[in-house]
Amino acid sequence: MSPLVISLFEAAVLVALLVAVALPFSAYVVAAMEGAPCVARRVLGPLERGCGRLLRIKPQESMGWKRYLVGAVALTLVGAAGLFAILLAQGVLPANPEGFSGLAPDTAFNLAVSFATNTDWQPVAGETHLSYFSQAVGLAVQNFLSPAIGIAVAFALMRGIAQGQGAGLGNFFMDVVRAVLYVLLPLALVGAVIGVAQGTPQTLEPYETVQLLEPVGLDEQGNIVDADSPDAVQQVTEAVVPLGPQASQVAIKQLGTNGGGFNGANSASALENPTPLTNLLQCAAIMLLPLTLIFCFGRMVGDRRQSRALMAAVLALLAVAIVAVTAAEYSATQQLLANGAVYTGGFEQSAGNMEGKETRIGAGETALWAAFTTAAANGSSNGSLAGFTPLGQVVPLVLMGLGEVVGGGAGTGLASLLGFVVLTVFIASLMIGRAPEYLGKKIGPAEMRLAVVMVMAPALVMLAGAAVLVLVPAAQGAAGGTGALGFSNLLYAAVSAGANNGSALSGFVADAPWANGVLGVEMLLGRLIPLACAVMLAGRMAALRPVAAGVGALSASGVLFTMLLMVIILLVGALTLVPALALGPVAVAVA
Amino acid sequence: MNARMIGEGLARAVVVFVLATVVLGVAYPFAVGAVGQLAFPWQANGSVIEVDGVKYGSQLVGQPFSDMKHLWGRPTVANATAFQGEDGQPLLWYAPENLSPASDEFAQRVQQRVEAIRAAHPDQANEPVPSELVTVSGSGFDPHISPAAADYQVGRIAQATGRSEEEVRAIIRQCTEEPLLGAIGQARVNVLEVNLMLDGVLDAVPNR
Repeated sequence: MSPLVISLFEAAVLVALLVAVALPFSAYVVAAMEGAPCVARRVLGPLERGCGRLLRIKPQESMGWKRYLVGAVALTLVGAAGLFAILLAQGVLPANPEGFSGLAPDTAFNLAVSFATNTDWQPVAGETHLSYFSQAVGLAVQNFLSPAIGIAVAFALMRGIAQGQGAGLGNFFMDVVRAVLYVLLPLALVGAVIGVAQGTPQTLEPYETVQLLEPVGLDEQGNIVDADSPDAVQQVTEAVVPLGPQASQVAIKQLGTNGGGFNGANSASALENPTPLTNLLQCAAIMLLPLTLIFCFGRMVGDRRQSRALMAAVLALLAVAIVAVTAAEYSATQQLLANGAVYTGGFEQSAGNMEGKETRIGAGETALWAAFTTAAANGSSNGSLAGFTPLGQVVPLVLMGLGEVVGGGAGTGLASLLGFVVLTVFIASLMIGRAPEYLGKKIGPAEMRLAVVMVMAPALVMLAGAAVLVLVPAAQGAAGGTGALGFSNLLYAAVSAGANNGSALSGFVADAPWANGVLGVEMLLGRLIPLACAVMLAGRMAALRPVAAGVGALSASGVLFTMLLMVIILLVGALTLVPALALGPVAVAVA
Repeated sequence: MNARMIGEGLARAVVVFVLATVVLGVAYPFAVGAVGQLAFPWQANGSVIEVDGVKYGSQLVGQPFSDMKHLWGRPTVANATAFQGEDGQPLLWYAPENLSPASDEFAQRVQQRVEAIRAAHPDQANEPVPSELVTVSGSGFDPHISPAAADYQVGRIAQATGRSEEEVRAIIRQCTEEPLLGAIGQARVNVLEVNLMLDGVLDAVPNR
């Protein structure tokens, strides 16, 4: 069998296993979030109630959409402000064995917004710029809170759709506490311990210094040369091994659709991702919550067929993406083949394009990860996307550009998907000449406006960001290329920030005020606009009186609806992205 | 939305932030650290290979090798500017730099690497060079290389070290890990471990 077929078979098995786990897990998540009795609540209940008392939340205190939204925005902004302060003050804070100084304000702004919005774009590499305090107390805390906010908002929207007229959306702060306590923290603890066992560091000791078996030389400019080269003016005999609280951070970076690595190389670094087992578990962790939340929706509205329709659309889109990117990365470019001088077959090595890929992982599992990480708005990487083939780069770009619909971020993905569902219901109902209604709620102009803004906002934000970046003179120098290649790199950064993904093409190097500013604003808008729309839509839906389904009303759970939903998603994505794609990666591929 | 609502939201957000900082920012990493340091102290501290008090490197971080007596790994992209030792000496670290495999610059680099490798391996003149010897990894410090890439170098290493090809192959086999369940991940040879064995520093692979 060809390596491509084997890899696709592996991917199919992994997705099937994930779905099989997500289905029962969603029952637990719904019980945890809705305050229903469950085994975990018997153990952790006192902690939950303690947090409730500290927050002065009365039992059964439920919020309307305004209070819910104020809470969600407040926690996002407080988190960003707190992280911003930590990053600025890094130099005087404890747990800084490497003695890193505080970050520049523009870098700190970008990084703080990035982690508070679940984006995890990183303008600087963690291991060379951030103290253990900044990583664990700063970034990792946002890695818990930002997905918890997303999960909370998703549940508010689900309650709004499911409940009778005038009921509240739940209590935002209780939802955050429950999402962390019952879902994110237990999973992260298990994942982190497995990570340490496999080789990911977890210590507060300073970085290790080790002997180089073969010293290297430095020339006058500080470039690495052979030790015995005539240009060598100095010898380098030792190397660094970055340590720190890495395992605890890696676990939550994957589970919470965050993606920000402890190290600049992210999960391509063997320190963050030491073995095929950790690679498999991290890859699965990327998709676990997005898929689980889709099943939660069916349970919340009391109609599992609704989840099945959404899940079918998501899995179909994901399958196309996986096949395309895996096939692209198993085909070596002419430049790599070098007229047959290089062997890229699969005997005793990974077949395909190994530029930017790790030996222990191989081309297939790197491609699969790239599809998962951009489908789920995670953004972590186990290889360098800059080393992907041009067509291999298009797949992650398209997945991000579609908005967070193919899984999406924790909670925000489900919300975006439901925005598309409302849009589809509206269009489909008009096509068959019925009044639009979804799950017994009439869809009016106000609901439509919110749904359209929710699905269009990320696309507009990312394209506007790309347009601004192109106009910045300094961006051309940082784009890592000229013409179509340079534009691809800029476009990728703008799309990644607007989609709250955070994955990066390493060709685009930018820790400069213009980049930090533009991308930071993009991340904020790309997060807060859809989030606000979701909560407002929840409020509108909750205010509507459920009506009995009329004769011939559109069913939102059949095969036909699933296909229509996919068409609408692809149409919106294509209309927004095709011109930019044609000028960027497609032009590179055909050049 | 009135001022009272916003005030209440902000106040509760601050409480959640403080609570999260204590529980998730401090207690959580310490709990993982406690388990790690007790149950897996070698892994939790960087998987450093130490023999007779000398730290030869981490099992998980590759090093640049070009000596004829050593197994060569993936091309590394190293710098000596990011870190300095206690006496101000430069320390080696890596920042990956991956070119588009469809670019002319990439083609030139591949060509250069192929020529350098072919020149050092006259016994393989008619064989194509395994791809991992001419491609930069995603991290820039991949500690491994494929069995195909290791096998390609056996003749050269045997000649330079005076060992038999069988001996060299036996060492490589000892430092090879198979894919999980035979299918997940890739078979891989730990380059630093092979070289420490070739140098007679290490007799057995640590922790496997």
